[in-house]
Amino acid sequence: MHIGKSVVVKGQLTGSEDLTIEGTIEGTIELRQNVLTIGSSGKIKAQIVAKAVIVQGEVHGNITATDKVEIRDTGSVDGDLTAPRIAISEGAHFRGAIDMQRSGTEPKSDDRVAPDKAPTLTGPASATARAPVR
Amino acid sequence: MLNWGQKQRAPDTGVVALPAPDCTLVTSLVFPKFLSAVGRRERPVLLDLGPVIGSNVQFFTERLTCKLHIEDLFQEIEAAARMRVRHGLEAALFKRLGQGPESVDGILCWDVFDFLDRTAGVALASHLETLLRRGGALYGFFGTTAIDLNHYTRFIVKREDRFELRPVPATPVKRRVLVTREISMMFEGLMSADSVLRKSGTRETLFRRPA
Repeated sequence: MHIGKSVVVKGQLTGSEDLTIEGTIEGTIELRQNVLTIGSSGKIKAQIVAKAVIVQGEVHGNITATDKVEIRDTGSVDGDLTAPRIAISEGAHFRGAIDMQRSGTEPKSDDRVAPDKAPTLTGPASATARAPVR
Repeated sequence: MLNWGQKQRAPDTGVVALPAPDCTLVTSLVFPKFLSAVGRRERPVLLDLGPVIGSNVQFFTERLTCKLHIEDLFQEIEAAARMRVRHGLEAALFKRLGQGPESVDGILCWDVFDFLDRTAGVALASHLETLLRRGGALYGFFGTTAIDLNHYTRFIVKREDRFELRPVPATPVKRRVLVTREISMMFEGLMSADSVLRKSGTRETLFRRPA
């Protein structure tokens, strides 16, 4: 699943397949069993819970992963990271706290994600498709 | 870049990888004591005032099983140096340090005080004191020669007693030299646990907050 550059999502984003985001997301993102990739154009202002998170774009918010968090050299994170494995490339921006939980520890969150769903927008969410910037 | 699943710490054979060009490999007598002091604490919280370095994150979280806060004060120092304004720097530094009183077990200052004027240095030192828990440790480098600093130093931890010092460009500022007595007075609420003058002309210091 891929969310393109022109897509803006405000609200809760949940699902059960791997997701790559190049657009803008504000709210929460939950992909507990899957990999979330924030592409180099992605701008995220959200709390993120996923199996693994790869950041190449910008994230403002806390990231919790049951497997790993990886911030690549183009990536920027302002927020706290909780994961058993964390990798930060040279040149990446990070500001916040790092808590490396032991593998298998369930991340802290009150909300559970309904299984067997592709990424969906729920609650008072809205999605806006914008014309690509020329 | 770290590789998943690989052991990051070199086996203790006394052999470490050669530093990259322009980098210096140095041995520390004081840093192992800092690690030992923090490592004895239950689930310690570490505050790193330098830039994020992936291999250091791996080292500290594995070695100390700690929660690590990274607040790169050099970003604020560089911003102030570029604008050629020093006033307001303390406020910018404090804004970054949002940790509560007595919430931190170890503080890595690196050489941040070399880049601060007297007012900012004293203010930062006394604020850091308030963040340390009783028995906590603070580690820093202090230059002893008044030169123009045109680079920051990244301290890349290679082993418990060894750093790679990697220079990165900076807007030049005059180094403020602090003699040992001034350093002690800046941290008057802390106890000087160790202080070593290195051949390179830098002083490596470990402070402890009395238990």
